[in-house]
Amino acid sequence: MNAPSAVREQVTWRALIVAGVLFVAAYFVARGWIETAEPRSGEALAAALLPVPFFGFLLLTFVRGVRSMDELERRIQLEALAVAFPCAILIAFVVGLLHLAGFHGTNDFDPPRLWPLLLLPYWFGIVVARRRYA
Amino acid sequence: MPNSLRVLRAQHGWSQADLADRLGVSRQTVNSIETEKYDPSLPLAFRIAALFGLPIEDIFSLAPKEIDR
Repeated sequence: MNAPSAVREQVTWRALIVAGVLFVAAYFVARGWIETAEPRSGEALAAALLPVPFFGFLLLTFVRGVRSMDELERRIQLEALAVAFPCAILIAFVVGLLHLAGFHGTNDFDPPRLWPLLLLPYWFGIVVARRRYA
Repeated sequence: MPNSLRVLRAQHGWSQADLADRLGVSRQTVNSIETEKYDPSLPLAFRIAALFGLPIEDIFSLAPKEIDR
């Protein structure tokens, strides 16, 4: 028999939180490092790419988590991501157009401010899908 | 998909959580199948049938609109 679903879910969330915290920490370390590095230098490039392996780890953890879920939870994740992915593209388009329209220079569209915005459609999708199957 | 999962579970005196543990799925999955909001995959349907010692067609049936499709 498989491990109880609730236990699996707990382990998944714990691993995701750890991977997420590591990625965010790597991002802020990279930002600090970039400010001290000479622009367009090898050091600046290394600093800019520092979060990539951490994001890879986060992605791997998420995929492993989804694979460990039961079939209904996988369906819920699929439906949530079907909402979140196009919304993330839309947000990127809108932010780009807002930049072109002159709404920039105030840090309003800085990545740290955008992350919650990108996560919102995913959470919205999760809530809608969970309610659908509740 | 219409099914007799709730009746069979009650006959065995199992809660949704008990059945979920036996099947290796979440309680929400069992609830969604019982309320006909979610159709189980074929492997899960076979696991359910094996657990109750019944053929799949004795537990699950197609809704008339699905037959006409």
